[in-house]
Amino acid sequence: MSSSSQFKQLEKLGNGTYATVYKGLNKTTGVYVALKEVKLDSEEGTPSTAIREISLMKELKHDNIVRLYDVIHTENKLTLVFEYMDNDLKKYMDSRIVGNTPRGLELHLVKYFQWQLLEGLAFCHENKILHRDLKPQNLLINKKGQLKLGDFGLARAFGIPVNTFSSEVVTLWYRAPDVLMGSRTYSTSIDIWSCGCILAEMITGKPLFLGSNDEEQLKLIFDTMGTPNEATWPGVTSLPKYNANFQQRLPKDLKMILQPYCESPLDDTVIDLLHGLLQLNPDMRLSAKQALHHPWFAEYYQ
Amino acid sequence: MASKSTSPSAALLNDSIKSLVSKHLPDDYKRVTDDDLYRHSSQYRHWSYTVGHLREKRIETNLKAVKLIQAKLQKFIDEQGDNISQSELQTLKSKAVPLTMEEELKLVNFYTKKVQVIGKHLNLPTEVIATSITFFRRFYLEESVMKYDPKELVHTTIFLACKAENYFIGVDSFAKKAKSTKDEILKYEFKLLESLKFTLLNHHPYKPLHGFFLDIQQMLYGKVDLKYMGKMYDKCRRKITEALLTDAVYHFTPPQITLAVLIDEDELLVTRYLQMKFGKPEETVEETGTEIVTPAKENAQKEKQEVKQEVKQEVKQEGEKSEQNGKPEDHPNTEKEEEGAETKQEEEEEEAEVPDGKDENTIELDKLMEQIMACKEMIASMSVVSTQDAKLIYAKNYYCQYPDIVIQKLKRKQEQEQEQVGSESKETTEEVSPMKKQKTDV
Repeated sequence: MSSSSQFKQLEKLGNGTYATVYKGLNKTTGVYVALKEVKLDSEEGTPSTAIREISLMKELKHDNIVRLYDVIHTENKLTLVFEYMDNDLKKYMDSRIVGNTPRGLELHLVKYFQWQLLEGLAFCHENKILHRDLKPQNLLINKKGQLKLGDFGLARAFGIPVNTFSSEVVTLWYRAPDVLMGSRTYSTSIDIWSCGCILAEMITGKPLFLGSNDEEQLKLIFDTMGTPNEATWPGVTSLPKYNANFQQRLPKDLKMILQPYCESPLDDTVIDLLHGLLQLNPDMRLSAKQALHHPWFAEYYQ
Repeated sequence: MASKSTSPSAALLNDSIKSLVSKHLPDDYKRVTDDDLYRHSSQYRHWSYTVGHLREKRIETNLKAVKLIQAKLQKFIDEQGDNISQSELQTLKSKAVPLTMEEELKLVNFYTKKVQVIGKHLNLPTEVIATSITFFRRFYLEESVMKYDPKELVHTTIFLACKAENYFIGVDSFAKKAKSTKDEILKYEFKLLESLKFTLLNHHPYKPLHGFFLDIQQMLYGKVDLKYMGKMYDKCRRKITEALLTDAVYHFTPPQITLAVLIDEDELLVTRYLQMKFGKPEETVEETGTEIVTPAKENAQKEKQEVKQEVKQEVKQEGEKSEQNGKPEDHPNTEKEEEGAETKQEEEEEEAEVPDGKDENTIELDKLMEQIMACKEMIASMSVVSTQDAKLIYAKNYYCQYPDIVIQKLKRKQEQEQEQVGSESKETTEEVSPMKKQKTDV
């Protein structure tokens, strides 16, 4: 058990879902850490978000998931001591913007990041844990090119029952269409959709579906992926927020959409993977494990 | 792969993508088994013990507290100096005595039952009650009732379990329902978290029960009455909760506990099921036809495989565990007593580990049955702690911590005796008083 005096608090790194994160230095080991501070002046004792994150992080030990080293209690706050990462994917991509023009990452880096993202996610899903809030801000990276899933504040374990999740999860841009249409029976496929959005964003440097509310988000998704119907997605018309008046769109060619923002030529394999991740019908989406065995990653699994 | 994304037939496209991808799963695709997962769980890593190691742990926790209490007592006596009479000293020696490990355990068991009752009273889901029970018992593996009054941890534990299980109740409404106060509930919350080593995710046997249940129905399809099975399922769920009150949870894995509960409920049916599933072909032939070898769906086959593997590896784990836990923190003097039992267990388990040669997944039915029966016995051996017993221990716990009260009582008693020749009964009722006072709070 560490004590708070063991760490020197350095600059603020950002705000998590329920806490402030600082860079810290372990004075005994000289190792940098991320200190996630949770205020305890809340009425409810330790916030349940913190309880949940601690609970899940204690089970998830994986190279592509940020490690929780320790939990420290001081008078009015709880500090979660995490593995330190230099950067997050959002900041990294922002740093590449030239003037007003976003620039995607080099494709080999996209592949390496996406691979690690799926590895970490597959581990979560194997452990029956949904992340539910995958977005570039929550993907931590370091100078070695490692990528790790962070911020499990919204994550939860999904034993049975799976139909009681609130639909108010996942930052809008990375939210799956089934969730947007009010499905409450979602499962691992919710994270897969986010992975697809992130893959496209890494390629182009800009978010794939930039909606500002639920309706617009759905509209943007359908504009590109086509409007679903009972034939393409059995059961879609019975979702709570399905609207018979959705504008009917045909799927567009993703390659045509992404290529203008990507310096090197996109091959069909990566587009194929994107299609596997960005299936409107959640049942059709690839699993993380399947995605890892997609031909695009052939160089990694051989 | 060359599929045109503009293809109007999205459904077809979907299919092609799926088939394409599944084709690329290598044959030797490494599937993570449920056992691998369980072995990574904090429940296995931190909260599984051999019989001997568990006992050591309890002795150690007790001893630490006993030392503290004795030091406090000595300090009290020293402070009194000459003011303390010989008879008072005598009384202190007989009344202010720290609890033994066995007494502590009884008190913990008594209050664990309370946790369960209160959880039910609050209408909490079974899983939340199970987690409450688990947390409470784990806490008292790490801490002594002489340091943390179990009464004060009951509500704290249930409230934390609600949070950990994502079953939200506000602290105010919880306090109201539980007739407690916010401060009481939250006072030891962090202490509890810390003693639990922040490991809050539990694997209760309810899920394996569900799995075995489906599998039994499938394996013995047409041979079991579904209504009966439904009733049996409910009974088993209740029995599982009872099993969580026993030490079986520290020595056996969730599926093993499940099977023990199942076999306790209907030995004939479950034995038959296990024979069909894990018995050698000649054993099963008499029971059924081809059902086992040709399952209706591929999926079902996979599932079976999982259950099978799960049970086997769990048998394995026990063996590994003994090795693992045998090394650190060994106390040579406490070790002796349990040594016999422990090595015996280890031997059995190691034997069970030896694969069958041809089929790696084959479980040796005999070994499995032994494990299940041992687990069943352990669950059955749990004795209920009577309220009377608990009261006496509670009072003892109270007096060993407050020697001044023992002295006061003695003085009062002596005064009373001088006034009238006192009756013995008075003493016993008074002795119980601290518990009584607090029973009303619970």
